[in-house]
Amino acid sequence: MSAPIPPTKASPSPAWPAAATAPAPGSALAEAARQPRFDPATPNHKLEFLLVFAVIAVLTAIGLFLPKSYYIQIGLVYLLAINVLSLRVGRWPIFTAGILVALAWDYFFVYPYFDIRVSVGKDYVLILIYFLVALIVGQSTARIRAQAATERLLKQQATALFQFIRLLTEARGLAEVAAVATRQIDELLGAKSTLSFAFEGRHPFELNFLEPSLVEQKELPAATWAFHHREPAGRFTDRFSNCTGHYVPLVREAQAFGVLAVKLPPGKTLSPGQSDLLEAFARQLALIVEREHLRAASEREKILAESEKLHRALLESVSHELRTPLAVIMATCDKFSRYDASAYPDFAAEINTAGQRLTRLVGNLLDQTRLDSGALKPHLDWCDPNDLINAAVKGIANALEDHPLEVIVAADMPLVRADFALVEHILVNLLLNAALHTPPGTPVSITAGLDLPGQRVFFAVADRGPGFPPQAQEQLFRKFVRGQGAPAGGLGLGLSIVRGFSAALGGGVALGENPGGGARITLYLPHKVANNSPPE
Amino acid sequence: MTANKKGRLLVIDDEVQILRLLRHSLETEGYEVHEAKTGLAGLGKVPSLQPDAIILDLSLPDLDGLKVLARLRESSQVPVLILSVRDSEKDITSALDSGADDYLTKPFRERELLSRVRAILRRTQVVGGVAVVRIGDVEVDATARLVRRAGQEVHLTAKEYAMLLLLVQHRGRVVTHRFILRALWGPEAEEDTGYLRAYIIRLRKKLEANPSDPQYLKTEPGIGYRLVEE
Repeated sequence: MSAPIPPTKASPSPAWPAAATAPAPGSALAEAARQPRFDPATPNHKLEFLLVFAVIAVLTAIGLFLPKSYYIQIGLVYLLAINVLSLRVGRWPIFTAGILVALAWDYFFVYPYFDIRVSVGKDYVLILIYFLVALIVGQSTARIRAQAATERLLKQQATALFQFIRLLTEARGLAEVAAVATRQIDELLGAKSTLSFAFEGRHPFELNFLEPSLVEQKELPAATWAFHHREPAGRFTDRFSNCTGHYVPLVREAQAFGVLAVKLPPGKTLSPGQSDLLEAFARQLALIVEREHLRAASEREKILAESEKLHRALLESVSHELRTPLAVIMATCDKFSRYDASAYPDFAAEINTAGQRLTRLVGNLLDQTRLDSGALKPHLDWCDPNDLINAAVKGIANALEDHPLEVIVAADMPLVRADFALVEHILVNLLLNAALHTPPGTPVSITAGLDLPGQRVFFAVADRGPGFPPQAQEQLFRKFVRGQGAPAGGLGLGLSIVRGFSAALGGGVALGENPGGGARITLYLPHKVANNSPPE
Repeated sequence: MTANKKGRLLVIDDEVQILRLLRHSLETEGYEVHEAKTGLAGLGKVPSLQPDAIILDLSLPDLDGLKVLARLRESSQVPVLILSVRDSEKDITSALDSGADDYLTKPFRERELLSRVRAILRRTQVVGGVAVVRIGDVEVDATARLVRRAGQEVHLTAKEYAMLLLLVQHRGRVVTHRFILRALWGPEAEEDTGYLRAYIIRLRKKLEANPSDPQYLKTEPGIGYRLVEE
């Protein structure tokens, strides 16, 4: 809590803030504090009985000075007094008043005086009627008063809740919401409260109260229980009732967003109305926390969109600036090889190879940028594994020239739910990696199939080269890291992109040994069942 | 179409070297080549020039190529080949969906460029009723609703035949997934590419010598399919 709360003279212990304290004028809270403290008046019976005795005593004293013939009128005044009293006092004081009045009238004003007996039978009837009237009036006014009290209670609750919501909606950010909410609760209940925001998905689960000193360590299980069971716990409940704090979860649509801890001074109780109100407050808080979450999520979304836009602009300009001259070189070289093939066959091929390498390099750099900017959004589609392998192999036919390639696609290989371009890139990088790091003439194989029956599909690229040094395995997936003894050329982005793309597709990569010698890199992708039976 | 030329082409691209290169390649093949260096200049030339086809770059100094395409399509159905360095599936599909006839990414091969130009030009030249179309050893006889491979009749289901016919009608050009799905199963099936893959695999098994390395029915990764011309 940010604002110190001045102690009050009336408060039983200076540590407990009382409702009547006046916060700084002008603040939103000053207005809130003007509202009556939400503490439904518990009727004070002693005072009411005293009032009843006093009124009857005074009336009786006055009556003693009047002529005895006025005894009927005195009886009527008594009845009037009971009626008036019933507006102020409860059922039992009125009942008592009825008996007292009957006795007093009989004793002091009905002949024989100062004797409880009466001489005439009709006087008995009168006394009985007094008593009955007192009883009926007492009962009915008590009922009316109870109704009025309930209504007042509801109105107070509604006002308090309205006030609470109004202040919360004015608060900016969760920290301010928490401060305003706890201050409101403290003032309304004369309590000390604090909040903890938490999310079930977070591991390890932890409740961190904003005012940790208010919640004892040993009471945390009660708070945690309240959070997980979406029910209040601690003091004033059946669960963990020996706690000093009362814990109310912030629940909205069966989801908990945190816990409200309320500590009342020792000896104070929480009325059912107050407990209802606390739960209503908790629901409002949950609503606001949820709203804040949504707002934060949309903010993140916006930032991501912005980053994607930037990335697109970069991609656009880089690819345009680099690829356009490349296109000219490649196309000219293409023409060159067609027209002057007999004169300088090798030169055109050299330019072409260099051009292709440069094109791939630009592609890899752009891919890495895409991965780093977080703007990579896989476009999932059903892909024919044969198509994937074909596309990859066709794209780098030149580089694979010196390596006999074996393609094995399992008979039960299903369609793959993935982003075609990303998988193609992964396979191209794996095949190039194999071709580049193995001696010419050694075979390269690519195998596709279902792994762990029905759970994932794999594409494995295996070679007969030197394999991976075991200590370098993790290194190789890093950016700009090139294998030891790798031939010149290349930025060392290939495997880093492979790992990034496969993660984006919900899959993974594993380095391994090819049985019989060489390296084997396997791409795993999630397996989904395709709808292969379209309507005719 | 002009008398002694194969066709009149308008190239809209701001790269001088690319323009020179295209002019050389296309003129050697017998096309009449006109140039525009901006989108607006290109759009301005269309009404008077009446080109038979347009080669359009997407990155232009004034207007985005997609906008040029959209404006062009308001008044003209001239075949358009997109020639761009943008190679993402999203860019390609959005260009094709906005009315481009085909797409080629830079760097490109001359041979490929010429075959694409031939294919898009044929869209306006072919008048319905070409009875038999031959693709390698596959023969499609549209009037008799017959498909033969190496002289042997191939039995196709109604949907398989419809798909093949669609590809034959667009042969040499890319046909997007969405286009095929909509034509064969209606607009509500546009996203069900699973269907499409299954049918393509079936068609390849019936028509290709080696279905896992197709020679006729090529995949355009992430975009669609292309039936080769010959």
